[in-house]
Amino acid sequence: MNMKVVALTLVCCLPVAASAQSGRQVKTINLPAGVTVQYGTMSRAGTLVATIDSDNVVRVWSTRSGELLQRLADGSHPPSDLVFSLDGRYLAIAYQLVPNEKGVVRIFEVDSWKMEHEFVVPDVFALAFSPDNRRLALSGMVTQAWDVKTSRMLADISPPFGGSTSLSFSGDGNWVATADGDGHVRVFDAGTEKPRSSGTEFALEPLAVAFSQDNKAIIAGGVDKTVSVIDPETGKVLRTLSKQPGLILSLNVSADKNQVAVIYGSADSFGKVDHLMLWDLDTEAVLADFQKPGITVVGGTFVGDHYLFAAASDSQLSVWSLR
Amino acid sequence: MVARREVLQKCLALGSIVIASDFSADSMLFAFQKGEKPLAKPTPPNPLGPFYKRLAPVSNILRAPGDPGLPLTLSGQVFDTRGDVVPGATIEIWQTNHHGLYDVDGYRYRGKQTVDTTGAYSFESVLPGHYPDKSRVCQHVHYVVMAPGHKPLVTQLYFATDPAFEGDPQRNYARDPLLQTPELIRPVVLTGEPNELHAKVRFELYLERP
Repeated sequence: MNMKVVALTLVCCLPVAASAQSGRQVKTINLPAGVTVQYGTMSRAGTLVATIDSDNVVRVWSTRSGELLQRLADGSHPPSDLVFSLDGRYLAIAYQLVPNEKGVVRIFEVDSWKMEHEFVVPDVFALAFSPDNRRLALSGMVTQAWDVKTSRMLADISPPFGGSTSLSFSGDGNWVATADGDGHVRVFDAGTEKPRSSGTEFALEPLAVAFSQDNKAIIAGGVDKTVSVIDPETGKVLRTLSKQPGLILSLNVSADKNQVAVIYGSADSFGKVDHLMLWDLDTEAVLADFQKPGITVVGGTFVGDHYLFAAASDSQLSVWSLR
Repeated sequence: MVARREVLQKCLALGSIVIASDFSADSMLFAFQKGEKPLAKPTPPNPLGPFYKRLAPVSNILRAPGDPGLPLTLSGQVFDTRGDVVPGATIEIWQTNHHGLYDVDGYRYRGKQTVDTTGAYSFESVLPGHYPDKSRVCQHVHYVVMAPGHKPLVTQLYFATDPAFEGDPQRNYARDPLLQTPELIRPVVLTGEPNELHAKVRFELYLERP
């Protein structure tokens, strides 16, 4: 999802929650002078982190060595989102060509950094690869699924209005779930556009959505500050996790455990993304709770028995491990 | 005999006709020749933002007695891009209160109405505040406009009096990071006695067909 857009328009009005830290900082990267990180994403293996920076440059860093591996710039066009394919071979970057109207998605091969594919699309907020890396779903002014190789649009699953803030392929690649601006979570057949149910209605906007590791549930959250577990067949909310003080901006589901990492906005201010909680979806227990004022969580992934994530401060990008 | 096109072109060149910003000179000339109404530019879209809330009450009175802030009347008409009135359009708006906070628990400063047969609408509210985090987002009101046979419009209204524009919205509109065009910034007319001022803003809405 485009946390940049969301963060610019956030208002949180509840008191700050008590915080507990169980994270360990494993790498610190000094950013170039005058550059700050606005958004980022981590490869599923946790070896790479890519950031959209304040100078409109995408930088790709090694999380192990801290080395800057690549710098991708596109003149004056600002990047709006980026995502690694699940196998880590590709990095897709959406650039904004005409705000609210037109964008372009470029897909780079990570080893060579050669641009493999490019297609012009409506303005994009969020990107998601299918598990087989052959399709790319995007959301923004519209919500669509594209064939990567042919640059052909396969499905247009745009909600009635407001676009989608987040989307996710199911683990088998057959379904796409969307968190829509009109207050719905919807699930579509990724090939036929056929809706799987009438969707799930929320009063307030869902901002993040993901399939559970076994594809039997959809995890969603947003302005209501509550994680909802949804039956994808019926759209019914099966249960909710306890409400937190901050808005839910991003969700990461473990590939092999029924766990989810939830990135919350700060409870006391706009645009601060400094709270991360790990939840066990079976027991609804909080496995870890990390909150550190002054940083912005920019993305992470489950690696083995811990959650690896990147966080940015004014002059540094840091890599943290949370158990 | 001077052709109608020539007269119009000369008037345009001399600036003796004021063209409403929603109509281009080319489209006026073309339509004038064809004897048709000129095509208006659709109202520019703007992001929905994360604070839309479903099921807003059907009401155009968003201001309660004693609410802090400058009383504000928002009004206008809904047209299609041919300039024809769109009766039956539904307009939903939401905004922050005077202090820059959205009501996410309830429905304060949220409402919707269906326009009348003249396409007219009005809402009674207060001038929204700036977000309290000192972000660069300017005062604004969110709109969603829906009408059968037309594309839904998601946009925002901004106020020319916002201090961020320093009196020159045409030049300074980009100070708001989400504002891509000065067309969404509207003049504010102040009426009433100095101790009972009331702001009035007109915002005409132009919908596209699919």
